[in-house]
Amino acid sequence: MGRLRRSRTHKGIRDIQRKYRTRQYMRDIDQIHDDIQPENAEKFAKPELDPDLPGMGQFYCIPCAKHHINKTSFDEHLRGKNHKKRLKVLKDAPYSQEEADRAAGLMPADKKAKKPKEEDMEVEKKAVA
Amino acid sequence: MRLEKCYFCSSTCYPGHGTMFVRNDSKTFRFCRSKCHKNFKMKRNPRKVRWTKAFRKAAGKEMTIDSTFQFEKRRNIPVRYDRDLMATTIRAMKRSQEIKAKRERAFYKNRMSGNKLQKKVENQALVQKHIHLVDTPQIKKIAQAQKVAEKNKLMDIDMS
Repeated sequence: MGRLRRSRTHKGIRDIQRKYRTRQYMRDIDQIHDDIQPENAEKFAKPELDPDLPGMGQFYCIPCAKHHINKTSFDEHLRGKNHKKRLKVLKDAPYSQEEADRAAGLMPADKKAKKPKEEDMEVEKKAVA
Repeated sequence: MRLEKCYFCSSTCYPGHGTMFVRNDSKTFRFCRSKCHKNFKMKRNPRKVRWTKAFRKAAGKEMTIDSTFQFEKRRNIPVRYDRDLMATTIRAMKRSQEIKAKRERAFYKNRMSGNKLQKKVENQALVQKHIHLVDTPQIKKIAQAQKVAEKNKLMDIDMS
């Protein structure tokens, strides 16, 4: 017997289509990685009241990029598996285009050699003279 | 014209192929084909996906540190065309590729060098574990002889 099931049968699944819509696009891991840096902590320290967001935007989990409706659900989330998983993912450095280039054997560009400032040149001339 | 590398699998994105995604913070991602784009949309980490170059490098399957990698670089400083320079560059490219291929082969051989011994040890362990299944003529002969001896003994008892 050969193959009975047709391939590419997932096209019409509505849940999957909805999951990958741009509207559903969450923050990427590398963006979140920037968010959790201590120098960006100020941005999230005092969130403004926003009626469009769940819980007026007051219960935001930075590592998971997710708003919660109230304190209890936020605390529950912090105890949960998904949150802990996300923390683990965020531990190692985020993937970048540079890493992709490096894997392909393409090294980053050399930094431009800085031109010596005119003042320094004059000093050198004087020293020579 | 620049041939960019795919964000996901690190292969080359040729003109007219693949897609580019521009995120709302204006960061661009190039993909060589829809396979890579789909995997990106699924938020997979290329370092964890086995068929990408990034995985192979991160997992030590390919050579990562070598002086031959220093030749291929993004050059942002334009150089005035010079026929002699062009000729020497092309010659050097061929030569460096040769050296790189040679070193890669050596790396592969070294990586695979322990396999034979490991396989042997594993096979021996497997045989030892399932030794009761081994069915050789010699073992059969011993068992047969024992059976015959027992029968003879019984016969002797009966006779006497």
